[in-house]
Amino acid sequence: MLTNIDVTIILFLTILLTACAPVQPWERGNLAKPQMALDPYPMQSSLRAHNYGSREAAAGDNAAQGGGCGCY
Amino acid sequence: MAVINKKAKKRNFKESLIMSFDDQRKCLWYKLSATAPCVALPPASMQSRTNDNPLNPAALIPFVVSLSNHDRTQQAKRLLKKPDYTSLHALTAAALILPGLLQSTANAADEDNVDFQYSHYQEGKRDGINALVIEPETGTVTKFPVPNNRNPIEVDSLHGSGRFSLADRVKFAFNYIQDTWSGATPFGSAPEFSGANRARVKGINDDGTPIYTGASPIASTRGYFDSKGNFFTQYFNSSTLQNTYIKNRTVHVMGYASPETRKQGDFKLSYEWDEAAVEAGGGISIESDYESRFANLGGRMDFNQKQTTVNAGISYTNSAIESFINPNGYVSWGEQHASLISSNSLSGLGILRANREDWAAQLGLTQVVNKDAAVELGMGYTRSTGFLENPYKLSWLLGVDPDDPRQQGLPEGFFFADGSGGSAYIEQRPDARNQWHWNTRWAQYVEPLDAALHLGYSFAHDDWGINAHTFDADWVQPLGFGWTVTPRIRYYSQSAADFYSPYFIVPAENKLLSEENLNGIIFPENFSSDQRLSGYGTLSGGITVSKQFAKGIGMEAGVEYYTHQGSLKLGGGGEQAFADFDYWVANAALKVNLAALGQGAPGSGDSHNHHGDHPNVPAGVLFGHTLDKTGDRMVGYRYMRNQQAGAFLQGDSHVSEQQILDKACPGSVSNTTGGFDGGCAILPREMTMNMHMLDLMYAPTDWLTLMLMPQFVDMTMDNYQPESLIDPNAHAHGGGLHGHETGGVGDTGMYAIFKLFDRPNHHLHTSLGVTAPTGDVGIKLKDEGLQNLQGLDGAYIHYGMQLGSGTWDFKPSLTYTGKSNAWSWGAQVGGTLRLEGSNKSGYALGDIFESSVWGGYNLTRWLSATVRAAYTWQGSIKGRYLRSTRFDEGIERECKSISTYSDFDEFGNPIGSPVFHQAIYNQCLADNEGTKLSNDAKDRTSPSDFPANYGGHYVDVGFGLSATIPSGSLAG
Repeated sequence: MLTNIDVTIILFLTILLTACAPVQPWERGNLAKPQMALDPYPMQSSLRAHNYGSREAAAGDNAAQGGGCGCY
Repeated sequence: MAVINKKAKKRNFKESLIMSFDDQRKCLWYKLSATAPCVALPPASMQSRTNDNPLNPAALIPFVVSLSNHDRTQQAKRLLKKPDYTSLHALTAAALILPGLLQSTANAADEDNVDFQYSHYQEGKRDGINALVIEPETGTVTKFPVPNNRNPIEVDSLHGSGRFSLADRVKFAFNYIQDTWSGATPFGSAPEFSGANRARVKGINDDGTPIYTGASPIASTRGYFDSKGNFFTQYFNSSTLQNTYIKNRTVHVMGYASPETRKQGDFKLSYEWDEAAVEAGGGISIESDYESRFANLGGRMDFNQKQTTVNAGISYTNSAIESFINPNGYVSWGEQHASLISSNSLSGLGILRANREDWAAQLGLTQVVNKDAAVELGMGYTRSTGFLENPYKLSWLLGVDPDDPRQQGLPEGFFFADGSGGSAYIEQRPDARNQWHWNTRWAQYVEPLDAALHLGYSFAHDDWGINAHTFDADWVQPLGFGWTVTPRIRYYSQSAADFYSPYFIVPAENKLLSEENLNGIIFPENFSSDQRLSGYGTLSGGITVSKQFAKGIGMEAGVEYYTHQGSLKLGGGGEQAFADFDYWVANAALKVNLAALGQGAPGSGDSHNHHGDHPNVPAGVLFGHTLDKTGDRMVGYRYMRNQQAGAFLQGDSHVSEQQILDKACPGSVSNTTGGFDGGCAILPREMTMNMHMLDLMYAPTDWLTLMLMPQFVDMTMDNYQPESLIDPNAHAHGGGLHGHETGGVGDTGMYAIFKLFDRPNHHLHTSLGVTAPTGDVGIKLKDEGLQNLQGLDGAYIHYGMQLGSGTWDFKPSLTYTGKSNAWSWGAQVGGTLRLEGSNKSGYALGDIFESSVWGGYNLTRWLSATVRAAYTWQGSIKGRYLRSTRFDEGIERECKSISTYSDFDEFGNPIGSPVFHQAIYNQCLADNEGTKLSNDAKDRTSPSDFPANYGGHYVDVGFGLSATIPSGSLAG
């Protein structure tokens, strides 16, 4: 299991390092659009993360923020 | 870059003004590409007034923040005078070219904004259970379904957040989150007919079959296992003269959580450089049984012309657990927990006090891949130590003692297991957990549709044996006119923890020899039956719709459906179907961009500007002012806290505790005489109400302001049993157990405010409006679960604890405000008239008349002092709660059974089959009227359950300080 993940990550990194052509600031119009935000709805995401967190055992992406229990 | 002369600069400024409130990000983009100078305006005004503090009995702590657009011209002017400001701002804004990508750390939102979100979480019903009825004589075995009529868990949440620039590079963000939940949730799981669920019979059907009202958890379990671990119930079949075995499936043992509220407040402070940022934050989360404090640190570095961003964060959380356990005597615990539990000798309750600590670290990388794609990679580590259990989750342990005589004469491979005398144990998890997780996310721009596709995958691994995979995808599709629709799907799968099992078969020693070891059971090192640690998969999907209005106001609404199933586990082997459940969540959000809100159309150049001249109105006064001009809008937030405690009053004089006990609960049932002269059983000690209100104001014309005011309320009430009533022999009523909590959406106000008289120093306006009964008035007490309310299950909670009035109410008011130099003053009269005689629960709150006068003096430009006196009259509650009918059905069944019998001949022998006797039945019902009244009276134990105890006259005098922020980002 773990090795598969490692392979995936290495693959991604390889793609990144080799395939990233420099993108000039004036070419970043699309990247700057709101729909391209990695988290377009941060408030909703935190709500969903809280619901998932109270129902699932895995640590979420936002584990480094801290928070309460709310364990219902 | 072209050289722009002064004149051109000014023209462009106007253009970009228009542009920037339509599409902030577009504007920032222009700035970077240097085709047009883009100007960021100082954000809108904001008033902040605090503190107006009437004296006992009601201490009112209101807090108002309002965000309005009505001094826009002044701001535009200020801006024109300060060209330096724009260039500085442009510099910072350049750091924000990729708002989303850089958001992961430092949460570098590009604008000051305030957001509000409400959400509702509703779980579906869990699988029901059956009761087993065996006719020993005929050998027939019947399973009767036990109704599962408890409402499943539901949660109402309110989330408010804000982000402000304190200085050019310093940002402050905060969140306030409040959840209130209640409903049925599993304690654990056990074989269906093992005795862990006790079906309660409420009567017998005409055909002789039992009618069940529901199931209560009970500890005593025993039964037989085959070599594969299947559980069997044994009975002796008298027709075949043999022991027969019925195979059991696993079912939940459900408990009920009374309404409980969690509140969380947190903040973050960040400092930004052009290519880096650091942030520090912290917060606290409070529940009655769980309190967490946390702090975090983070940082971000940009490389490679911002094509690569690295961020890192670390957090520490310290949580204290303090929970009541064992109220019904069916919960036990192993040695590991024994040192954490102290018992209250008076109430017989155990209190578990424990601590846990969590350290988490996160490292992330964001990379621009090409002009249409970006990727994020992250990894994290979390170490948790201390009490990692959920003290409400139980495991059923069944001990197998090979020397037990009941092991004799069983079928091949069968053995007997006994958990009697307390087989439900608080779960026991390891004292440490190390979790690692890796995640990756891809964002792809899809040019032909102007849409974005996001794909995410994450993997988590811990040393409890849990491996979890998450896949998610969403598609963000702008539709034009500010509309965006986002469908989303997510799949999650996890393997079970090493120490998870729905129930446990453990070795046991001969009980006679092992008095020290509880029930002779030899505990596993760790055990848990919490289905969150089982193997399963979940599938969820949803859609979000958002609309961006001009002037910086956005709305967002979403819905998500989630299903948890053992069979969805990746690779199979998940938990059985009994543990499956589903939920849905709906949410709605209002987002206000302060900068954009502050911008009107340029050129509406009259110098009319009232705002700075408004007289100071104490924050506790609603409808304190109107909007000035046609088209003005305002979004305000108002917080009020009302705490009542202290002595009981009748008229102006104090009343002793004993007098209250004797007089305030007329008609209460006495435990000793059985008559209706019992007096109060408990007394209120303190009640606290928190109200969060949104003021949404709009002025369609100069003289009219429309206002919509949704509210979110939560309440806690602490009761106590007076010492004179405590019976040392009873194990009832633990002193601390009588805290009741409720919370959720309150009544929604809709008002029209008319200006009657408007001169520079004198204003008079009237408001007319109604409140819609959106707050729940049907909240009842629940005694199942881990709270013991002594048979009050199903009784209405105290009147003052319901979330609204339940009736449509008319609310008029008249307000006068005046000022002269540094002095200001005002007066207001208002009232609340109930438009209906009773609500759906059978009563109507009393009408209210309120009046107040206040005066204020501006100590400095930003600080003013106010004094307010208020007189309030409130009528008592009309009507009362509907009589509880929850015992009636039982009485009717009982009467039906009594009145159905065979007639007798002269020798007293029954003739023929049983016949129903109507007259006897009617007589029986009439005889039981007293029982019904007594059952009804038992629901009212406290003075706060009696309508006549509400209402009265109050005079409050308060002194307050109001702070307004006259300049900067929070200018008001």
